[in-house]
Amino acid sequence: MRSPRALPLPAVLLCLFVATGLSLLAASVLPSGFRGPAIAALSLAKAMLVVLGFMRLQRESAGLAGALIGYAALICLLAGARIALSGVS
Amino acid sequence: MNIAVREGLDTAQPETGSGVELLLWILIWSELVVFGALLGAFLLLGALDPPALAALRSGLELPLAGMATIVLVSSGFFAARAAFGHHPRRNLVAAALGGFTFCALKIAALVHELPALAATEGRLSELYMLIVGFHFAHVLFVAGLLLLVALRPTPRHVAGVATIWHLIDLIWLLILPVIYLG
Repeated sequence: MRSPRALPLPAVLLCLFVATGLSLLAASVLPSGFRGPAIAALSLAKAMLVVLGFMRLQRESAGLAGALIGYAALICLLAGARIALSGVS
Repeated sequence: MNIAVREGLDTAQPETGSGVELLLWILIWSELVVFGALLGAFLLLGALDPPALAALRSGLELPLAGMATIVLVSSGFFAARAAFGHHPRRNLVAAALGGFTFCALKIAALVHELPALAATEGRLSELYMLIVGFHFAHVLFVAGLLLLVALRPTPRHVAGVATIWHLIDLIWLLILPVIYLG
């Protein structure tokens, strides 16, 4: 049975488009201190949309979905920290 | 993944693919580890040498990277539709065409970026080429696999190739903040 809480695929795609546009906007207009966290959060949101919205992996294995999101979160965190710290020095 | 295919394509499909599925996930995680190591190395080198990173980034084509992202996530949408049982053949072909379009956009970007990359000395530009080239090779290869599966789409094959396609999508979404958006 399909979960009634699952986002429809077109809505997932639309959210991915919006998040991509916002990421590009953040990269070009925000100062580095705000840019890092903003880009990290938007990138993690996109990764979660792919794992939970397109793959719907949580239905089959919540652990596997969590591991993929954790992996994406680690890379996004490191990327965000590097961007944020680039304006400090 | 497989749940939807079982719902939408062939409810009588026997559960014989758990070994194959385990191998698929071992392959996927080994790819993630390799890309994670490459992205980690890029982050480390970029943090150690900010002027080289700034020089590299000034030569990159951010608008084309944005367009490539839109194309790749759209092809992920078609792969997801195929995996959930909506016209698998048609959607797999659409996903593959998205992959080939992504490759064309990356070639166009590289044509613009190569002179700047050639002028940039150091490991960062080499690492950039390695990461982007490795991902490009994955997109090209799996887009070909999407077409092969589209010839005779069986539920398990559609689910497997769609899963790999989503992972390639995911890796690109992680390449973007590490390399392009800083």
